[in-house]
Formats: sequence, structure tokens, C-alpha cells
Amino acid sequence: MIELEGIEKTYTQGEVVTRVLQDISFAIQPGQYVAIMGASGTGKSTLMNILGCLDKPTAGHYRLEGTDVVDLDDEGLSHVRNQKIGFVFQQFHLLQRTTALKNALLPLIYADHYPEEAEELAEQALGMVGLSDRIDYRPNQLSGGQQQRVAIARALINNPAILLADEPTGNLDSRSGVEVMAIFQRLHREGRTIITVTHDRQIAEHAQRVIVLADGQIAEDQTIDRPRDAEAELVALVPNEENNG
Amino acid sequence: MKILRTAQEGLSSLAANPLRTFLMMAGTVVGIAALTVIMAIGKGTESQVMRRVENFGPRAMMLVAGGGRTIGPPDSTVTTLTLDDVRAIREEVPGLEIVTPQAWLSGAGLRYEAQQIKATLWGIEPEWHEAWNWHTADGDGISHEDVATMARVCVIGSSVKRDLFGGADPIGQTLYVNKVAVQVQGVLERRGVMGASGGDFDNRILVPITTAMRRVMNVDHIGGVRIITSDADRMPEQAEQITQLMRARHRITPPVEDDFRINSPLAIAEVVRGTSGTLTMLLAALAGLSLLVGGVVLMNIQLISVAERTAEIGLRRAVGATRNDIFTQFLTESLSVTLLGMILGSALGSGISVAIRQLTSMPIVISWEPLALSLGFALLIGTFFGVQPARRAARLHPVAALR
Ligand SMILES: Nc1ncnc2c1ncn2[C@@H]1O[C@H](COP(=O)(O)OP(=O)(O)OP(=O)(O)O)[C@@H](O)[C@H]1O
Ligand SMILES: [Mg+2]
Repeated sequence: MIELEGIEKTYTQGEVVTRVLQDISFAIQPGQYVAIMGASGTGKSTLMNILGCLDKPTAGHYRLEGTDVVDLDDEGLSHVRNQKIGFVFQQFHLLQRTTALKNALLPLIYADHYPEEAEELAEQALGMVGLSDRIDYRPNQLSGGQQQRVAIARALINNPAILLADEPTGNLDSRSGVEVMAIFQRLHREGRTIITVTHDRQIAEHAQRVIVLADGQIAEDQTIDRPRDAEAELVALVPNEENNG
Repeated sequence: MKILRTAQEGLSSLAANPLRTFLMMAGTVVGIAALTVIMAIGKGTESQVMRRVENFGPRAMMLVAGGGRTIGPPDSTVTTLTLDDVRAIREEVPGLEIVTPQAWLSGAGLRYEAQQIKATLWGIEPEWHEAWNWHTADGDGISHEDVATMARVCVIGSSVKRDLFGGADPIGQTLYVNKVAVQVQGVLERRGVMGASGGDFDNRILVPITTAMRRVMNVDHIGGVRIITSDADRMPEQAEQITQLMRARHRITPPVEDDFRINSPLAIAEVVRGTSGTLTMLLAALAGLSLLVGGVVLMNIQLISVAERTAEIGLRRAVGATRNDIFTQFLTESLSVTLLGMILGSALGSGISVAIRQLTSMPIVISWEPLALSLGFALLIGTFFGVQPARRAARLHPVAALR
């Protein structure tokens, strides 16, 4: 599904050349749930941006479902993002003054073919993340955890091949973070491919596989034999009215 | 269609930020309103010019006693214009179809039985009817014989008929003009109230010019000469010839002021246009300035908006918007703002035009044509000042925008 081969990324500012990623190669099978870890500044976000076709590597090959996306132009990349990739960001990035429903269906606006049942699809997606009763709420009327779940609904609306999440729990309290993990684990059970970046070991251990970056290179690539179970963790946590959504 | 959906995104953003939208729009509203008023005044003025020229006669000139520049009645204190001048013009200026003198007395007292009114007295020759294209509705006009015999006859305007005779038939009746008895032999066609001055053209009485000069006024001079040229194109040249002839006959050498003036359709148009000219110039300056400043304000607000909304732009790019989609959205915002501004400005301008028409005597015609011009301006400004912000938004790198 995903094949990276000798990916490099360098930034050149005048005389200064910063090598952010060096010789990154790995493959991810369909349906895998992968966490990427590493210290701050090791290039996790840079790698995610390349995986998400938001950015191009300086060298190397990236094959997504068989096509080498490195050759695509801006329009081609936009199309891949729209059709095959769902993004979840640390800062949620919801449109303010816009309802959860409208936020969730945003990717459909940019699809070649706008489905007639777009609003129903958005409602379904919001239902999947437990926000059926919040579809007309605006971001400022939602808690952080709820906002991130709207963002997940938005990422899922196109039924993408991969779900990419860069520090999805970074701005959330621990309970909301575990709730997001529970959603990811459910999506994983349903067969979705998920790649998430985190600097939190516990969050990473909800995945099947953890890739650790150090200085722009793969330092470790481990399989988690028994991932943490977010549902079980939630039961153990004290119920929190506010974030029950 | 994707382009419609992306445009719709722009509209939603405008609706979500009413204050920003209003600020972006203000200049366009004022500019288009001023433009609309200018056009209403311009069109009103032109239609008044047309009407006045049509009334005056497109091939007509008036040689009038008394100097100065304004259109209006002759100066009755000037006694230098005579029938000899008329004869000289007929003989020396070629290409004239009709040259007919008229004596003139304003506020002549008319009496019929117990009724007394004031009206304008015109002493005329038979050609007067042809020269003004103004004939009798009933009875006969003034004839050559009437002029030759200094006949005690008259033709009255419809207002005089109404005011002196009521419903009765005036033909054959005798009335008194400044105590001179004349018999009514005809009634003129109705012309109605004319121009901004509101003068009643039908409040007049025509008598043979000889009768007017000898019997009523006892003068040797005339008030004016109505001239119809056979070729309107030659009018300026003929007017110049007449001017030279009159100066020679009246022994006038500039800088001594002429004791006569020549009115022509051109002169009339100039006077009518002159009154609205200054206001139009002021409004044009206001319109131009508002549209320009409004455009610059719009561009700057959009540039600030692009800077403030980089995260939004990055997000849209992340979920699949192409550079073109972002460009379309932001250009739609600018264009919609100017179009909305144009609609509001047109409405405001029309309202102001109606108010001006109601409150002043300025000629105002409200029509659909300014809309086309305003639409053109709105599209031009929206595009011209909207492209740069839209381009800047489209060029943002998604990764940089999301950071
Ligand atoms: N546009 C750029 N120009 C120059 N250097 C850059 C640019 N973008 C990122 N970098 C550098 O690349 C390195 C990796 O950045 P990146 O954001 O991928 O780190 P990260 O692993 O996501 O860190 P964090 O955990 O703090 O989010 C950093 O040292 C950063 O300074
Ligand atoms: Mg990062």
C-alpha cells in the first residue's frame, strides 16, 4: 500500500543546508496501524507531510497504491489528498463560524463529483465519532475532544485509503486522548490503514507497530505484540461528564 | 460543478464576516451611487437639451435685440434692431429659408368685456407660423394683407382663449390690447408649459407686426428675427455672417459689446448643459475617488484576510483544494463584494436621484443603462483589486500554511 524508498528531505536557506530526513525506507501494509515516534525536531511532521502528499521529498520514491506520487504536479497531489488521504492535526484546524456538519463535508467540496447525499454522509461520519447530537454546533461550542472528533469525521468522509494523524492527542486532556485512540482502534478493526505521530509512548502503544525516528533516520521499527486497549482504559478512567459528548 | 462549490465557499465566508464584508464594500457603494446620480443627471440633461432643441427648431436661429449671453426674451430697452436689418439679412446672407421679424411686448393688458388678463404680445408676419411650425387650430393666421393694411386682427393662444372667453367661441369677437381693439380671427395650437422656467407658451396674442409697432407699441424697432436656414450644417457660418453684418450696420467694433445676440440650438444646448456641469464634475471626482480608494481598501482587507486565514487555506489544501480552487474562492469573495456593493450603490444612487428630482428643478432621468456601466465597473474593480490577494492565497505552500 505504502512504499517509501530512500526518502530524503533537505531545506536550503542560503548557505545553510538542513538535512531533515535521510534515507527513509519502509513499507506499510493495508490495514496496518502504525505510530511514528521521536524527539522534537527529528522530522516526524516532515515525514507525515510527505506521506500526506502535502510536500515532496528532495529525493527518493513514494508509491501510494502503486503510483509514484513524487512525479505528480500540484493538481495531481491535490487530487490524491482529496481521494486517498484523511488528515487529523494537532490543532484540529476546523473552520470557525462553520457547523460540525459543514466542517465534516469540506473534502467533498473539492471532489470531482459532489455526492448528492453529502450531508447524510457527513452525518454518518459524525455519528461514527459519537457526535450525532452535535451536527449543528460550531467549533467554539464544542470541547477540544469533540472538535478533534469532528476533524476525524472530516478525515473519514472521503473513505480514504490512509488516515494520517500528526499528534492528534497533543492538545487534548488524557481522557479525550484515549477516546480518540478508541476511535482509531475501532477504525483499525474495521480495516483502515492508520499512521499517527506522537511523542507519547503510551499513545504509541495503541498501534501495532512503532517506528522511531532519530535525527531524520529510522532508529527502530518494532512490532507491538499486545497493543493497549483504549476501550478498557476508558472504563478504568473516572467518567467525565464534560467530555462524554 | 466544482467551481460553483468553491465560489460558494467564498460567499459563505463573506456572510460569516459581515463587518469585514461591509468595509470591503463601502467604497464601491459610494462610488457606484455617485456614478448612478451622474448618469441620471446626464441623461436628464440630454433629454432636456433634445426637447429644447426640438422646440426651438433644429434649423432655427434667433437674432435678438440686446447683448449678453443668456437665452431669453429680447431686451425691450434696446431700440437698434429694425426692419431694415431684416431686409439686409435677407439680401446679404445666402442659404436662409425664412427670415421673419417679430415685435415683442411682455405683459400686454388684454380685455374682453369684464375679463382682464396679461399676456405676451407678438407682432408677426405670416412666415412666423411656418418659422415656428405653429399654426392655428381654429380660424386663420396672420396674412400678408393683414400686415400690409395694419389690420386690427389677432390670433390668440389657447390660454388666452380659456382665460378671456371661457367656453365660448372667440372667433369674430373683439378684444382690447392696451386699449386697441382687435378682432380674433384664429386660435393657436396648444404648446403647453415649457422648460425649467415654467413659462406658459400659450399665454400669447399675435397681431400683424405693423399693427403691433404702429398701433399698440408705437415704436420703430423690433424685438427679434426668427431665421430658418436651409442647411443646419451651415448655421455657425451663417451666424457669423449675420453677426458681422449687424456689427457693421450698428457700427460696433469689439471690444464694444454687441447690442444683439444670436440664439441657436448649439447655444441652447450649451446653456442647458452648463447648469448641471459643475455638479457632474464634482460627482465624477467623488465616484472616481471612491471607486479607487474602495478598491485599494478592498485589496488590503483581502490581503490581511489571506494572512489571517493561512490556516484555513492550508486546511483546504490538505483536504484536496487545488491552487485554482483557492484562487477561485478568494476572487469570488472580492467580486461578490463589488457586485453587492454595485447593487446597493445603484439602489442608493437611484434613491438620491429621485430625491434630487423631487427637491430641485434639475432634469433627472432614471434608466437601466447606468446598471450596465456600474456592473462593468464592479467587475473591473473586483477583478483588478481581487486578483493579487487571491493569487497570494493560492500560492501559499500547504505545509507552511498549516504550521
Ligand atoms: N521550511 C523549513 N525550513 C527549514 N527547516 C525546516 C523547515 N521545516 C522544518 N524544518 C526543520 O526540520 C526539522 C524537522 O521538523 P519537523 O516539524 O518535521 O519535526 P517534528 O519531528 O515534527 O518535531 P515536533 O515533535 O516538535 O513536532 C526541524 O529541525 C525544523 O527546524
Ligand atoms: Mg511535528
